Amino acid sequence: MKQVNVPDIGDFKDVEVIEVLVKAGDTIAAEQSLITVESDKATMEIPAPGAGVVREVRIKVGDKVSQGTPILVLDEADAGATAKEAPAPAPAPEKAKAAPASESAKPAPAPAAESAGPMTVNVPDIGDFKDVAVIEVLVKPGDSVAPEQSLITVESDKATMEIPSPAAGTVRELKLKVGDKVSQGSAILVMDATGAAPVLPAQAKPAAEPAAASEVSAPPRPPVPKEPLEALHAKPHASPSVRKFARELGVDLTRVTGSGPKGRIAHTDVQAFVKSALSAVPAAAAAAKGGALPFNLPAWPEVDFAKFGPVEARPLTRLQRLSGPNLHRNWVSIPHVTQFDEADITDLEAFRKANTAETEKQGFKLTMLAFLVKACVTALRQHPNLNASLDRGGESLILKKYYNIGVAVDTPDGLVVPVVRDADRKGVFDVARELGEISKLARDKKLKPGDMQGGTFSISSLGGIGGSAFTPIINAPEVAILGVSRSVLRPVWNGKEFAPRLMLPLSLSYDHRIIDGAAAARFTTYLASVLADIRRSLL
Amino acid sequence: MADLDCDVVVLGAGPGGYSAAFRAADLGLTTVLVERYPTLGGVCLNVGCIPSKALLHTAAVMDAARALGAHGISFGEPKIDLDKLRAFKEKVVGKLTGGLAAMAKMRKVAVVQGVGMFAGANQLAVGGKDKGTVRFKSAIIAAGSQSAKLPFLPEDPRIVDSTGALELKGAADKLLIIGGGIIGLEMGTVYSTLGARLDVVEMMDGLMLGADRDLVAVWQKFNAKRFDRVMLKSKTTKAEATKAGIRVSFEGQDAQTYDLVLVSVGRVPNGKKIGADKAGVKVDERGFIPTDSQMRTNVPHIYAIGDIAGNPMLAHKAVHEAHVAAEAAAGRKSHFDARVVPSVAYTDPEIAWVGLTEEEAKKAGTRIGVAKFPWSASGRAIANARDEGFTKLIFDADSHRLLGGGIVGTGAGDLISELALAVEMGADATDIGKTIHPHPTVSESIGMAAELFEGVCTDLPPQRKK
Repeated sequence: MKQVNVPDIGDFKDVEVIEVLVKAGDTIAAEQSLITVESDKATMEIPAPGAGVVREVRIKVGDKVSQGTPILVLDEADAGATAKEAPAPAPAPEKAKAAPASESAKPAPAPAAESAGPMTVNVPDIGDFKDVAVIEVLVKPGDSVAPEQSLITVESDKATMEIPSPAAGTVRELKLKVGDKVSQGSAILVMDATGAAPVLPAQAKPAAEPAAASEVSAPPRPPVPKEPLEALHAKPHASPSVRKFARELGVDLTRVTGSGPKGRIAHTDVQAFVKSALSAVPAAAAAAKGGALPFNLPAWPEVDFAKFGPVEARPLTRLQRLSGPNLHRNWVSIPHVTQFDEADITDLEAFRKANTAETEKQGFKLTMLAFLVKACVTALRQHPNLNASLDRGGESLILKKYYNIGVAVDTPDGLVVPVVRDADRKGVFDVARELGEISKLARDKKLKPGDMQGGTFSISSLGGIGGSAFTPIINAPEVAILGVSRSVLRPVWNGKEFAPRLMLPLSLSYDHRIIDGAAAARFTTYLASVLADIRRSLL
Repeated sequence: MADLDCDVVVLGAGPGGYSAAFRAADLGLTTVLVERYPTLGGVCLNVGCIPSKALLHTAAVMDAARALGAHGISFGEPKIDLDKLRAFKEKVVGKLTGGLAAMAKMRKVAVVQGVGMFAGANQLAVGGKDKGTVRFKSAIIAAGSQSAKLPFLPEDPRIVDSTGALELKGAADKLLIIGGGIIGLEMGTVYSTLGARLDVVEMMDGLMLGADRDLVAVWQKFNAKRFDRVMLKSKTTKAEATKAGIRVSFEGQDAQTYDLVLVSVGRVPNGKKIGADKAGVKVDERGFIPTDSQMRTNVPHIYAIGDIAGNPMLAHKAVHEAHVAAEAAAGRKSHFDARVVPSVAYTDPEIAWVGLTEEEAKKAGTRIGVAKFPWSASGRAIANARDEGFTKLIFDADSHRLLGGGIVGTGAGDLISELALAVEMGADATDIGKTIHPHPTVSESIGMAAELFEGVCTDLPPQRKK
């Protein structure tokens, strides 16, 4: 009996076993491959030092091994005994073992000794989403994953979510990559499940194609990395110096007509193209608008900021890139008017303070925002036009019989607006507790897309930070948004004297297509009266 | 070394690295060049392109002298002094690396000797001789590649990679080349001329893959006498060091004992050895660092060029990428948009090709027209007594623009540039044919191949009407 260890495999440590080619009971010949390991550079097969019968395999797929790691225990055969025919696992091509082009040379999957079989993991029910983009792949072939471990991150236009593994196992093959669009049922990966019964057999993977693994010792073919050769004959007829010139001006040469022999593009053609493009812009803009007002704006100023001092380019966060265009659309397409008012919240603040001890015992904070949500619901009931949306044709107003209040939450990545659903049916404590929870989810980037949908009215509170008023942008297709600034203690004339009152500034932006100034003023006045005496919300 | 602050740090001083550093310095950026070895030039100058050419040239002259017997000129058997040959090679290398060091000084590029590892997005830690930290605004990664190893081969001085083979430790009678690519066959040529018999073993079904087979066939026929065995689609299964030599077993072939084994199975990029993760730079699973057309990695102020940035791993590609990266770091709108990168095997005869190959065209279904001018119709090639080669041009069937070409014959590597220029300029068959090539030269074969394509060549038997 003899223990077979990993031999000197060169400058490699902790390489991963990607295949176990023998199992207990197998008769093996000397030099027969036992396992395949894969380093970051190459795959290699470890051969048997002698013939015999495998008594016990001490290693499994996914293990990391180094020189000296035990592979198996072998009952050695007599010197003369012939081993039974090898099970002929498709050997990795010798070249590919060392060549960087190793992915095409991965050996065909051989039965792994201890895995319960391959299973395909698909995208589960992710709600009402289709064709969401994969923005991150969190595992790679060979990785061991635990149940519930995140495999990929997908992103809809509203939120990101991670898709967890349904079982433990080893990733065999990824079926998607960053940028792919997935829906429920899309295959994520194939894994060798350990323990769990295989759900679906993976399709048989074809054996490595030696031809595909053209090695590097022969000089790689000379395609230019970024531009495939096949398209060479379709390339614009322009010399390197003209191409360089076009790069500097940002001209796409495929759109330039060459004036030289056989359509060759000259420097002057590039210049002419730029001139005509510049003069065509205002005309085209005017034409595109038809009878409407043309936005015949001058070009954005081009300033080389670095000329005036050091600068740093920092990419917008994903959230900013997503929310920016929406904000811009809302700001441009909704005729906003903002109504300013103040609410006397002296009594409400005293009432809130009197009850904070109670809620803190229950583990949440009783915030002014919770009262604001409730007060807005009361005001919206009285002014249903503000709890509404225009239908898409702009022909009618859709009045909503439910009160879902969106609350803008500031996160390090940008702004999100989670929604407190059915706020009319919740008590102030419930609302306060829920606000605490969603703010935390927002900051942890754990909000699900559903958490941000279905709002009927939004509140943006900057009260914790400062300021006296601002003009919030309406969160379309809602028709109004309440901005709340910092409350201040001020002397207020009560008819007899100046009394110190705590005043809360309100800024209500509304869609003037639906709500006129008088209605807005009535709304804020009513809202202020509710905040001044919260008992009104009972009426 | 005191800690340094700079505009650009370049990691690795191979052809890509030093070119990037010099270009950056010429553009007025303060530049630090970090190199682990004491001389500049990297693999190419020290243990690659240049020393191998010093030896190949020597071998070619020896072979040419021998061939003069047929012209009635006979020399005695050459006396080979390996120490002197090695010294010549080292002098060649020394001259070039010394020149680089001087040029670095003239440009005020600070050369730091040590192993550079990223310590952050704007910091490189240097270990080794000049220990310290380099803080940079931009970085250009030019850390290259290294020979791939075969793990089952024992440690033995008689088993070498290209670097070891160039050391010329001794003559060999029996040399095995594992991996039938350019590097292995170039070194094989040298050892063969110095007296070795060659065996080559290759997993795939051909030598010098990537080049069209008709080019390789000419080389193979001319060199058949150097080889005892050309083992294609064959696998090396075992190698053991014995007193008599390295005994190597093959799958389906007889085992044999060699006094030198050259391992040339490709090169592996060094992407995983530079602490790229500390800077947030993405490295793929093979060790390559993906870049955009400005050679920027996923971290916009960090660039990658040369072998580490992807195939083909060729010095001349690295140099062009280096200039793009340095210019982009200086704020210029440079992009790598070369259409073709030529490849050359400096064997005897040489094989050179550029752009589209016939094989690729076939695979992609591109409609092409091919014109092949045999050197047996070239006066100069016949006068040189080396008329085994040919010049092949590959045109777009519709526009007649040159898409690529291949040349096999002496000096093919020097001829291929014209084809590269023609592709970049978008030249068609008439452009090439109407360009007057001097007579008598082998470069004429290019003009004549173009004429052949147009049906106007008068140096070949009359063509059938197209």
